[in-house]
Amino acid sequence: MSSVTPPSEGPPKAETKPLNCPHCGAAITLRALGQAVVVVCEGCRSILDAQDPQLKILQTFQKAMASDPPLIPLGSRGKIRGTEYEVIGVQRRSIKVEGIRYLWHEYVLFNPYKGFRYLTEFQGHWNDVVVCKDQPIVDARLSIPLEANYLGEIYQHFQTADANSDFVLGEFPWQVRVGDQARLTDYIHPPRVLSREKTGSEITWSIGEYVYGQDLWNTFHLPGSPPEAMGVYENQPSPVGADVKAIWVVCGAFLICLLALMIGFEMQSKKENVFSVRYHLGSGDPTGEASFVTDVFELSGRTSDVQVTTWSDLQNTWIDVNYALINVDTGRAWDFGREISFYSGYDSDGAWSEGNRTDQVTVPSVPSGRYYLRIEPEVEPLHPPIEYTVELQRDVPVYSFYGIGFLALILPMAAVTWRSFSFERSRWSESDHPPSPIFTSSEDDS
Amino acid sequence: MIRMIYLVYGILVLAAVGAAEFRGWSLDSMSTVNNVPKSVRDNPGSYRSVYSSYHHYTGGK
Amino acid sequence: MTRPVGNCPNCGAKIVFQWSSSVQTVCEHCKSILVRTDIDLKKVGVVADLPPDVSPIQLYTEGVYRNRSFVVVGRILYQYDQGGWNEWHLMMNDGNSGWLSDAQEEYAISFRASGEKLPAETQLQVGQTYDWNGDVFNLTVITKARYRGVQGELPFEYWDKSEVTFADLRTASKKFATLDYGDADPVLYVGEFMEFDDLKMKNLRQFEGWR
Repeated sequence: MSSVTPPSEGPPKAETKPLNCPHCGAAITLRALGQAVVVVCEGCRSILDAQDPQLKILQTFQKAMASDPPLIPLGSRGKIRGTEYEVIGVQRRSIKVEGIRYLWHEYVLFNPYKGFRYLTEFQGHWNDVVVCKDQPIVDARLSIPLEANYLGEIYQHFQTADANSDFVLGEFPWQVRVGDQARLTDYIHPPRVLSREKTGSEITWSIGEYVYGQDLWNTFHLPGSPPEAMGVYENQPSPVGADVKAIWVVCGAFLICLLALMIGFEMQSKKENVFSVRYHLGSGDPTGEASFVTDVFELSGRTSDVQVTTWSDLQNTWIDVNYALINVDTGRAWDFGREISFYSGYDSDGAWSEGNRTDQVTVPSVPSGRYYLRIEPEVEPLHPPIEYTVELQRDVPVYSFYGIGFLALILPMAAVTWRSFSFERSRWSESDHPPSPIFTSSEDDS
Repeated sequence: MIRMIYLVYGILVLAAVGAAEFRGWSLDSMSTVNNVPKSVRDNPGSYRSVYSSYHHYTGGK
Repeated sequence: MTRPVGNCPNCGAKIVFQWSSSVQTVCEHCKSILVRTDIDLKKVGVVADLPPDVSPIQLYTEGVYRNRSFVVVGRILYQYDQGGWNEWHLMMNDGNSGWLSDAQEEYAISFRASGEKLPAETQLQVGQTYDWNGDVFNLTVITKARYRGVQGELPFEYWDKSEVTFADLRTASKKFATLDYGDADPVLYVGEFMEFDDLKMKNLRQFEGWR
């Protein structure tokens, strides 16, 4: 049996030559200006000849790098999911969809124990990607299945396109070359994305999770800010959270509680008829200052409201009734004026009527005690005989608050649902399955 | 997260509606006047309602 | 470890380059600017470099597979057209032989198994399915590889074969199988993919600059 020791392993060896000033050998300053590298000697101020072989290497290299400098510099280290990784390579790829080229970058991250993972970046949207160990399940009968099942979750088909490698720097686990082509299919289940890559006859599945640029900038200790994320990315998490339906369930529960509140208060409200008197104003009676006071009556129970109803079967006239509900003992009064009117007649369109013969007003938070009403009616000068009735009810539910409560519960839900709806529309508008336009143009194609 | 916020908000809305109903609040516009003298019962005309045709409150006596 | 190293031509101090094709660095000792002369500049931006093939596992590394502890006692290095991988020979605590493969830090444990109707090398075709011991295996890759080197103890006689054919089979879960056509009859190995952390390995190779 022959025993062959494997070749010695360690970091690759580099061959180098120094960049020296040919005149004085002093320190060299390097400045990169766009695609050029300019070298000035600090000591003797001579500018290094561009024919210097080392300088030529730097110039050529700078030209290649300047065309697409990586956002995360190669050699950067940062922690992803508790493990430190080093960025060792980057490539730029592009797809063409309906005549438009979209390009994105893929960074290779390496840890000597844990292996490789990838960061993809498209228009400011980042994803943390690894190759799948479990195989997703798809319906093999279809050429492009619309769903994939991975670890029990269903992913929806988002896009299929042919990708081209446009630019590559550093190391990749397989030898990427500019011009390499692959058929890419993405399936989404936000915040995750399942990617299928077919090169030749080999198929590789990867699983990615959306990550935020700022978190990457923090962990890789990069200066400045990450590029701003444009638009909505395929697996970008929705700002309202995964489940708008769950919030609607909470809303439904609240609406049921509101209903229960309404029924509960309705049932326990006294709606006690405290006072009901009919008054008479004969025609020609004084038009104002005919104020009078009622008998004293009792308002019982806890501090609650008082509903005052004014009604009269008016015919083509009006009556203003000024009220003061006065507490006999405390001298506190609630002051309010109400008006009722009714007009009717016939014209070319038929019968018409206008006005309201009944008015209801609710006096708020009236403590229990002994009260009377001071009433001052006001009528028009030549008024017909008027009979009007004043009624008081103690502890009546105020239904308008339930209306306000209903709106208060529904409106934020509507806003959240609309936000989620338009977010998802934005997401899918970039896919192979864009949503149909909400407002279709009525113009014909010419 | 949004669910938590809405939960707290909804509870506050229900509490507010409950308080309004319990205390007998109302949306109608109203003025309150204090210290109405007992003499108004004998002389209702001496009470000057803020809604009368007077432009200013002259006070009752 | 993917950062190429060298010695400063001016003062001899150790120098490190940030990444595989980085052409420029500064000697920390004498501050000279150093330029790499062994990089094919025509490839920069056009072709990727390959990372070095260094396994973190070494002889006498210890670990645990599903409550069975093991020690690494041997190694086979394979090479094929797209790179290489290691097959580490394990001695399990019950005396059995196991295998830990390390292909670019993707780890899998497997054991020799018996299966019915193993296909001959000429019958192999990607996409075929086989039913062994209750699992459905799908043939995904056929690889032709060469031995690049061996170390330590191996459970069989190793001799210089020019090329060996392997067939990789996968299931819907982490279970997988390999058919080894090194001998006259195919040998079946069945196992599963494992996460690095789950193997709880100790006495691993140390890499400079990494914990």
